[in-house]
Amino acid sequence: MTDLSFLALATVTVASAILALEARDLVYGAAALGISFLGIAGLFFLLDASYTGVFQIAVYIGAVVVLILFTVMLVGPQLGEPPLELKRLSLLTALLVSLLLGTAGSLTSAASFPGPDSCGAGCDLVRLSTTLINQYGVPLEFLSLVLAAAVIGALTLAKAERKG
Amino acid sequence: MSDPVSQILQLVTSTYFLEIVVFPGLISIAILGAFFTWFERKLTARVQLRIGPSYSSPVGGILQGFADIIKLLFKELIIPEGADRFFFIMSPVTALIIGAALLGLIPFAPGVQIANVEVGLPAFLAIVTLSPTLVLLAGWSANSKFPFIGGLRALFQQTAYEIPLWLSALGVVMITGTLNLTGIVQFQQNNGWLILPQALGAVLFIVTSTAEMERLPFDLPEAESEIMMGWQAEYPGPLFMLVQGPAFIKLYAFAALFSTLYLGGYLGPAIIPPIVWFFLKTIVIIVAVMLFRSTFPRVRLDQLLRQGWTTLLTLSIVNIVIAYFIVVGLPAI
Amino acid sequence: MEPLTSFFAVSVVLLGIGIYGLTTKRNALRILFSIELIYNAANLNIIAFARLRDPPIVTGQVLVLFTIALAAMEASVGLAIIMLVSRLNVDIDLRKLDRLKG
Repeated sequence: MTDLSFLALATVTVASAILALEARDLVYGAAALGISFLGIAGLFFLLDASYTGVFQIAVYIGAVVVLILFTVMLVGPQLGEPPLELKRLSLLTALLVSLLLGTAGSLTSAASFPGPDSCGAGCDLVRLSTTLINQYGVPLEFLSLVLAAAVIGALTLAKAERKG
Repeated sequence: MSDPVSQILQLVTSTYFLEIVVFPGLISIAILGAFFTWFERKLTARVQLRIGPSYSSPVGGILQGFADIIKLLFKELIIPEGADRFFFIMSPVTALIIGAALLGLIPFAPGVQIANVEVGLPAFLAIVTLSPTLVLLAGWSANSKFPFIGGLRALFQQTAYEIPLWLSALGVVMITGTLNLTGIVQFQQNNGWLILPQALGAVLFIVTSTAEMERLPFDLPEAESEIMMGWQAEYPGPLFMLVQGPAFIKLYAFAALFSTLYLGGYLGPAIIPPIVWFFLKTIVIIVAVMLFRSTFPRVRLDQLLRQGWTTLLTLSIVNIVIAYFIVVGLPAI
Repeated sequence: MEPLTSFFAVSVVLLGIGIYGLTTKRNALRILFSIELIYNAANLNIIAFARLRDPPIVTGQVLVLFTIALAAMEASVGLAIIMLVSRLNVDIDLRKLDRLKG
């Protein structure tokens, strides 16, 4: 799979992730974050997870990026960045953590962990939806409750803001 | 590594590439966009007992759209001071790309579909959810009050009507049992057009997609008489064309999706080829949406949002219940 | 290079970028960007492992559907808090917001 589409998507994702953090203006950062999400969705499509890719586009780019842009536009421009010594230490920390996790992860090859859930070649949309409804129906209901709680929380915060 | 260069060469010389660029891809979208501009103005004019565009050619002004393009290209490109150039220009360009991507998902005829994705319908709707972001960026980047207010209004409106849009399309999915657009058309080949069992869903779909496209009666964000064209106010000549283009492409895309979901897409008696059937149905829907523009007054923003979040949401849930009973069969009551 | 290794490498690189942003930046919004990047890195990792292991399973996609929804909720509540804080103070420098009250 190390062909053109994977290389292009991976490059776009990583480059826009770096841009999202390093851009001077937060609006550019938010837009770069959106492009990074689009790259991740493309990688999902490459991995035959097409429904999850569509879900990622609709939720992350369609909703989260809009929220971030909205907040950035209303909060306004902010301060600059900390001195260089702290930056170097953090860069080193990030590199060390990534190397550690990377080594640990690459030691697990694509060996088989047989379990009750193998679907072989039939891992398609039908399989995903039957698994979701049959095996994970209860967590799905709890997810809707958590969604309701988040909406109520956000509305309460907005109301507190207007009163205060 | 399997040679990216030879992959690119293979891609360019295939019929796939021809489909993307010429038909039903980019060039046909551009020509049809120009054509629809004339069509809308002529239709609106005739409804209002006027004549409409008639100067640009001997045959009823049919080249008006192309004349507009040429005129707009010659205008001066003034970008407001303090405006964010990158987003000012890139937002309409991205909206054009999104519109073209929408049309790539639709089956025009058996075998003529640029991207037959297994999850075609949610992919279409997910790409539609990208447009509020772009309108917000376009409105903000002009660095001026009217466009920003227009951008915010467009954001609220489009976000509010996304959920009824998804839910009314959900009724179709429940009945056909597939998310693939070609599969939905084939279901209608065996079981009849879906507009009959899903009449409520079809009405909801047309109403919510008109709101998503910001056409009258839902065109408050670009209200010509109220806030000076809203978020489009600061766009000069050639960029204005780039802003109007996506509006018509979205109209074309939504009408094409409606005819695929509810009217059987390219199906029809074999006297006429399937592609002509498809265009006939799409043009009927486009005429209907254009007639909305001439018939209904503009809806106020708070009315609009309230209706979107309460009435339309309730009706789409009712539609889902109806679809449930159609699938399960009436004895399930 | 095995496909799994290349997807895993992308995921680890994104994780590193996210951790770097989380520890370095002091603007609350940039920290939120980093958190979202870490979420996406984890999602990519889960889906890659679920699909490219032998035999492939579908549970990875189920989990990622849940985490995408939860991450979106958490981002919206976090953004509401940031907006509220920026109305009360002027500054959203997280190093100065170290009191629980007021």
